[in-house]
Amino acid sequence: MKKFLAVLFMVFALLITAACGSEGEAEESDDTSSDASSTSGSNTDAGSEAESDEKQIVTFWHSMGGAGQEAINAIVDAYNESQDKVQVNAEYQGTYDEALTKFHSVAGTDSAPTMIQVFEIGTMSMINSGQIEPIQNYVDAENYDMSYLEENIVNYYTIDDKFYSMPFNSSTPVMYYNKDAFEAAGLDPETPPATFEEIEEVSKKIMEANPDMRGFALQAYGWLFEQLLANQGALLMNNDNGRTDTPTEIGFTEEQGKSIFQWVENMVNDGTFANYGTNGDNMVSGFLAGDVAMFLQSSASSRDVIDNAPFEVGVAFLPHPENVDREGVVIGGASLWMVDGKEQAEKDAAWDFMKFVQQPEIQAEWHVNTGYFAINPAAYDEQVVQEAYEEMPQLQVTVQQLQETNSSYATQGAVMDMIPEERRIVETALETIYNGGDLDETYNAMVEQLNAAIEQANAARGE
Amino acid sequence: MSMPNTIAEPIESKLDFEHYKRKERIKSWAKGMLFLLPSIILFTVFLFYPLVRTIYLSFFLTNAAGETTVFVGWENFARMFNSPIFMQSMKSTFLFVLYTVPLTIIISLFLALLANEKLRGIGIFRTIYSSTMGISVAAASVFWLYLFHPSIGFLNMIVTGLGFERIGWLTDPTWALIAVAITTIWMNLGFTFLILLGGLQSIDGYLYESADIDGAGYFYKLKNITIPMLSPTLFFVVTVTIINAFQTFGQIDILTQGGPQNTTNLIVYSIYREAFVNYQFGSASAQAVVLFIIILIMTIIQFKLGERKVHYQ
Repeated sequence: MKKFLAVLFMVFALLITAACGSEGEAEESDDTSSDASSTSGSNTDAGSEAESDEKQIVTFWHSMGGAGQEAINAIVDAYNESQDKVQVNAEYQGTYDEALTKFHSVAGTDSAPTMIQVFEIGTMSMINSGQIEPIQNYVDAENYDMSYLEENIVNYYTIDDKFYSMPFNSSTPVMYYNKDAFEAAGLDPETPPATFEEIEEVSKKIMEANPDMRGFALQAYGWLFEQLLANQGALLMNNDNGRTDTPTEIGFTEEQGKSIFQWVENMVNDGTFANYGTNGDNMVSGFLAGDVAMFLQSSASSRDVIDNAPFEVGVAFLPHPENVDREGVVIGGASLWMVDGKEQAEKDAAWDFMKFVQQPEIQAEWHVNTGYFAINPAAYDEQVVQEAYEEMPQLQVTVQQLQETNSSYATQGAVMDMIPEERRIVETALETIYNGGDLDETYNAMVEQLNAAIEQANAARGE
Repeated sequence: MSMPNTIAEPIESKLDFEHYKRKERIKSWAKGMLFLLPSIILFTVFLFYPLVRTIYLSFFLTNAAGETTVFVGWENFARMFNSPIFMQSMKSTFLFVLYTVPLTIIISLFLALLANEKLRGIGIFRTIYSSTMGISVAAASVFWLYLFHPSIGFLNMIVTGLGFERIGWLTDPTWALIAVAITTIWMNLGFTFLILLGGLQSIDGYLYESADIDGAGYFYKLKNITIPMLSPTLFFVVTVTIINAFQTFGQIDILTQGGPQNTTNLIVYSIYREAFVNYQFGSASAQAVVLFIIILIMTIIQFKLGERKVHYQ
């Protein structure tokens, strides 16, 4: 026993000395390195330590993969080079869902970022988290003018007359179509169908001309359902889409909700509908392979689709039922949030970056490289944009669609924290219709589940 | 406590002896605990605490940060068992176990028997058969995602080439679970094959030699020597494959995201969605508790029924 204790003690002692030793070494090496730099450099009196003091580090979490990531890195690099006070570190944190989940679990700790990009439907969840600082505080402090931003964007992100986050990347859904296929079917490629009924007709004609090509594809994606509702002037949630009070149930009528399901069912019965389920990538590659002639997708992929298609791609407005007028679309995309609990200097630096992003020339690059539209309309006058429009006039459609949108509660979009769940429920219902499920039964089950989910979400907040 | 004292006073010495014994017992207990300490600490931090916390959470509603807001008692459980979505995911999970476990074991046993033959170049085949072990779930799923692609996928090219209608592998509710099961079987083959081959190799050669002398045929030997001698390995493989099947997540997330119509919304995926998409940590925990109980029961049943048939050398 004594021996054992002695060994234990010795090991312990060894550990302590080892730890001390390495610490000392580390200090030493620090010294030598700064010595070396001060001797080699001409006037690096400030040394490496002071330099890190000078540059304010801002951690920026985003969810832009692929082409979007390249574009966002370009913006961040441009910002870092434009001044020498702030260093923005952009970190890709996975999809919007994943990034938001990560944020919720680190919020309030040191690992939380200074700034995070959150999708539009995470808005309520961010506000409820209590870990954010509304940017309205900065707008007020500086008398910063937000009114030059795109009106519809301002509408979406103003909640209770307050800006909580800085709009950043916004897109709307558009209809992509294969112009070559339209010509082959004897249709005019310059007048795409605008209503549900016209799409049904056109789909049949396209299949008559080319039996291997389906007419239309609708990804089972809750966001598209929301957009198709808004385009008819329907509310997703009651209490004015949650803008005046917390929603207690869904806001669309049976006629409005069913019109979309009915439209899809008609096409499924005609055999003109291409079912890609919930997978958007499969749908796009199906379109590029000439498997389907029309589909709905975010304008953010327009650059990608146009570049990769071996045929002429047309971009058109989102369709609506014949018997109602087009109301317009809801802003999709994401905004930048300021995280609370950081030092003031760090937050100021983040605010500076947010302002930088709004500049017309930055927004112009962003617009042409991705297909997200410019949140600052002044960007459309920039040279880059004008040139891109000449080459790809399709990019303009998304901007026109947004500018022709009527401002109403429907097109302001819903704010509610259970929207991710809402989307899931809607997607399941859509898939049931795609696979020949009964319309009334599916629709009623969906409404029931949506209302139950709203109730549950309200209960969970303790209201 | 010195020796002369104990000899001189026997009564006191007996008490002293008891006392000494107790002390020794405590000492050896403490020593034992000292050795167990690392694993106790690790298990407590990573298993027991989360388990207790999950059970605790399952009785509450939570906000988006996972903090408890309202105590609801058994309501999460009640709602869960009344929910058609949860029932669907239970059904899918059991179907999935049924599709994957027997097939994985039969196919890999077959491959292991083949690869156990002593032939020139058998090493190449052994490597090929066990190669799926080296492929991550994500890589394998992406690879299958392209095979299953509705219009440009290889599988549908074969299907249409044979003159059949295209199959919506991942979009048709009748096929999606089968498609995921095929992927899973393919991915698990390597591991099961390797374990079974190891089991086969450790069977003593003299058993076969004496059977040969008695003039036993291949299948007779298979039934009466190979399978019984392999039974401990088979038992292990069955248990592990079942637990794995219940905990399937990666391939679902990449291939179908639980769709179409929730047919592939297996229970672990459903827990994930409930917690990290819907931010309902309470009901997600309730589902996790149910999953825990199911796996616990399955394992107990296996040990009670299966172990009786297992032959240990």
